[in-house]
Amino acid sequence: MMESIRKAAIIGAGTMGAAIAAQFANAGVPVLLLDIVKDGTPNRNALAEGAIAKMLKTDPAPFMSTRAAKLVTPGNLEDDLGQLSSCDWIVEAIIERLDLKQALYKKIDAVRKPGSAVSSNTSTIPLAKLTEGMPESFKRDFLITHFFNPPRYMRLLELVSGPETDAKLAQSVARFADLMLGKSVVSAKDSPGFIANRLGVFWLQTGVVEAMELGLTVEEADAIMSRPFGIPKTGVFGLIDLVGLDLMPHINASLAGSLPKSDAFHATNKDIPLIKTMIAEGNIGRKGKGGFYRKGPKGREAIDLASGAYRPVRKAATPDGRDLRKLLENSAYAWRVMGPTLAYAASLLPEAADDVHAIDEAMRLGYNWKLGPFELIDKIGADWLAEKLAKDGMKVPALLDAARGQSFYKLDGAKRLYLGLDDAYHELHRPEGVLMLEDIKRATKPLLKNASASLWDIGDGVLCFELTSKSNSWDAQNLELLGKAIELVPQNHKALVIYNEGAHFSVGANLGLALFAANIAAWGEIEKLVASGQKTFKALKYAPFPSVAAPFGMALGGGCEIVLHASAVQAHAETYIGLVECGVGLVPAWGGCTEMLSRYQGAKTMPKGPMPAAAKVFEMVSTATVSKSAANAKELLFLRESDGITMNRYRLLADAKAKALALVEAYAAPEPPTYQLPGEDGRVGFGMAVKEFRKKGLATPYDEVVAGELATVLSGGEADIIDRPSEADILALERGAFTRLIRKDGTLARIETMLTTGKPLRN
Amino acid sequence: MTQAVIAGYARSPFTLAAKGALARVRPDDLAAETIAGLVARLSLNAADLEAVILGCAFPEGEQGLNLARLVGLNAGLPQSVGGYTVNHFCGSSMQAIHIAAGHIAAGAGEAFIAAGVESMSRVPMGGYNPLPNPGLYAKLPAAYMGMGETAENVAAKWNISRAEQEAFAVESQRRAAAAIAEGRLREEIVPITSKAGMVERDGCPRPETSAETLAGLKPAFSTEGSVTAGTSSPLTDGASAVLVCSADYAAKHGLKPLARILASATAGCAPEIMGIGPVAASKKALARAGISAADLDVVELNEAFASQSLACIRDLGLDAAKVNIDGGAIALGHPLGATGARITGKAASLLARTGGRYALATQCIGGGQGIATVLERV
Repeated sequence: MMESIRKAAIIGAGTMGAAIAAQFANAGVPVLLLDIVKDGTPNRNALAEGAIAKMLKTDPAPFMSTRAAKLVTPGNLEDDLGQLSSCDWIVEAIIERLDLKQALYKKIDAVRKPGSAVSSNTSTIPLAKLTEGMPESFKRDFLITHFFNPPRYMRLLELVSGPETDAKLAQSVARFADLMLGKSVVSAKDSPGFIANRLGVFWLQTGVVEAMELGLTVEEADAIMSRPFGIPKTGVFGLIDLVGLDLMPHINASLAGSLPKSDAFHATNKDIPLIKTMIAEGNIGRKGKGGFYRKGPKGREAIDLASGAYRPVRKAATPDGRDLRKLLENSAYAWRVMGPTLAYAASLLPEAADDVHAIDEAMRLGYNWKLGPFELIDKIGADWLAEKLAKDGMKVPALLDAARGQSFYKLDGAKRLYLGLDDAYHELHRPEGVLMLEDIKRATKPLLKNASASLWDIGDGVLCFELTSKSNSWDAQNLELLGKAIELVPQNHKALVIYNEGAHFSVGANLGLALFAANIAAWGEIEKLVASGQKTFKALKYAPFPSVAAPFGMALGGGCEIVLHASAVQAHAETYIGLVECGVGLVPAWGGCTEMLSRYQGAKTMPKGPMPAAAKVFEMVSTATVSKSAANAKELLFLRESDGITMNRYRLLADAKAKALALVEAYAAPEPPTYQLPGEDGRVGFGMAVKEFRKKGLATPYDEVVAGELATVLSGGEADIIDRPSEADILALERGAFTRLIRKDGTLARIETMLTTGKPLRN
Repeated sequence: MTQAVIAGYARSPFTLAAKGALARVRPDDLAAETIAGLVARLSLNAADLEAVILGCAFPEGEQGLNLARLVGLNAGLPQSVGGYTVNHFCGSSMQAIHIAAGHIAAGAGEAFIAAGVESMSRVPMGGYNPLPNPGLYAKLPAAYMGMGETAENVAAKWNISRAEQEAFAVESQRRAAAAIAEGRLREEIVPITSKAGMVERDGCPRPETSAETLAGLKPAFSTEGSVTAGTSSPLTDGASAVLVCSADYAAKHGLKPLARILASATAGCAPEIMGIGPVAASKKALARAGISAADLDVVELNEAFASQSLACIRDLGLDAAKVNIDGGAIALGHPLGATGARITGKAASLLARTGGRYALATQCIGGGQGIATVLERV
């Protein structure tokens, strides 16, 4: 087996194959994308080239950067098969036909290099069948790697090894998938549908059948079968729309064909005439004309499950999910879907997986459930569930029966334990090298803590500053705690990491507090907060120790500004970072302008002179540009070329800590920058540009007001082009612009709209 | 007074800025190769040249320093040949021709290369450091007005409908496509070396353009406006060059003059309707030549926008059939500094080709000006 995977090949340039190739490219690995030669086209690579071109236009984008797209080489199976000999991992992602796959494997085996991994992305065909008749050497190198759609964004990878698969090879593939592709690898057994789809399809099918039998609307069903259970808001019907209704009959038939007669799936796998009609009419979901939901001429519509006619969407109340027992008692739909689903999950062991954690992880990462089925059972109570199942005449699975009187997970001190099939508890180990703040928090006490933030010791002299406020927004309290942390680190520690484990790194300043202060005209308080943010972030920047920000998900506004002030950044690949203040009628005022100006002025690719850097930052900030990935953030200079990118979310803290430690020895705080800015001349220039945008209908009247203030900051205020304003000068301009804007009705209206609707007001 | 003639014309292919085949070619290389191509075609003794006069609208970055001198050296011209750069925005290289003709008339040289270049891929329109004068902007904001807005103003003031503009653009594309198909542009083009190979063909024309496709475009400069990308000249990379020399020099060295430069003029107008600039400039030049618009056989009118082209045709009383017979800038492209030498050289060569007697080459200039040249076949 190869030591590492330096080059890969994906065969099959369909949606999945092409997007898997994109994820290899995102990891920086050159990848060959092959498909058949399409009859009648002069371009023999038409399929692969077409798939790459299409991906460059797809949103959400399969590629993290344009640079990544260049790592995918298109080809075809007739001319380029020989190139497989240079590939360390070959992924087959062609249509689900055993004969075609087996024929392809023979071709692959004839040219591949010995010890290269070959895997199938099949979601329905057992490994044993795929390798039937293949030589032992092939079986040793073969496994199933089941990606979820879209592969860049879905973190689950189900890995199925056969009895002959070389364990070292499987381990090597799993490690690459973890470190480089950013996937959480769940080992699944060679059983139909593996884990996530086996349970997920059961849940979806039951969800549809029961909604129809109980006479619920799709909105009612989705309101129950989503948020209350920690399931994405698409619920059942919205998810089927997303996946495509046309796939359902195939997947159901495939599962029904391969599952034993005794399997509970057969009972729920009823023909649904409505779905057949919808497919026949092209209503196959979001990729078709519409699905259970569609965009109508006058707004969103939903289908009536009884009549099949579309009507305007009727908002359904979301039930309270805090007490799941109550919900399962009171809502027949909740019970008739979730009861059997949880029972089915318990029945899948050991057939589909070795332990409950594998099933939970698969549902969390493959279906984006907040809690896996066994975590849900723990929340409900295994006894209660078993009794209710029995009372309703349903079979209580042995595993659930065994869990009576206990829970599937429990803590032993800081150790997390899970209930094994042997009825004993076992420790749940993180993959090697993974460091989770969650684990540290269970085992230790914070060094500092208030209502909005905590400071943790993550070992080896490194402290971790954690935001704990709502949406990890910045307020006076967490700024104060960060200030204290900056004072504390040099006393006994070496470095600081800024990190948390919320849904997003930080959405910016707490707008609710700002609006409240503005409404009671507490201008002094607002000015104090702006000044204190500047002071604290600059204190971080010029501290005598290195700091590493570890953003992931959204890092907006103040969340972006803290990242800009850290000595270095270790970002998760999926980082969406930007200065979005203009969207709420403000300008970045915690040093965001000073940092971006200095980055662009220092960028080697920028032309000289007072205007280019200011103009570039003006363009980005006035349009609230947000990166579409960490790689894209580097292109936008929100991240430096030397900043690190971690593909696997679970490994972010460990990587950030390592980066911080690497900086310690030779660390020297940066020198403050000076600027060359265009002053009033530039401001006039920016004003002209905004006027043209308004004429083109791309800017609103209030955009012009906000952009005017931003122009004042970025042009250096009254600076002349022969002046060299300091960082403090620009910070003063930031504060001035911010405090003028926050007093304006247009800004307050924008903030209020953002807080109530979550969307920007275009006033 | 010694009369100046145009005794040779060549240009590079014109290709779309940023996405075209010349986007990665430095403008100084582009101009040097074009000039070297012209010198070679004419078998000139380059040591006879007084100077290279090079027009460029945004002479900075790779187009900076004294571009003309660097291009002359880069083109392999003898070091004895002078070089200076002229900025008259879109009129830069036509201005270069006027300067050459003036020098010849004044006895200050016998032969000049008047050329122009613009890489709109590599140096942005407006330059890298646009720093408008706040005082002037307060007094006269139109001095800095964007070109699209002026085109809208002309459309409104001259009451030129969107449909008229689109019909004009379709015709420009049709004429350019026909000229290309019949090989009529081939001999004016000097192939240019790029990293990806030789660039030999124009890249801007969209022969498939129809009134229907244009009608579907969104206004490019104003939500309420009538000017679209389809009725504007595209951002373009390109270079052009003409040999301007005395009639005597041409005769002595066996060069075949295409036309003599009869008159030239430049004129200002209100900046917010800069597109109408050719009217005043052309009237002056025609009067200096002692002819009227009715005497013209060939007109090359730079199509910065369809709206201003139509307004100029109307106000000058031009015969549309004689205007831009091989297509104009809407189809072929408008590399700012290079356009003047292209349309003047083109007008001269069209006189030779059609056997007509008088030609007018004219163009509008940002900031509110026009420039015009009247030629007579030799």
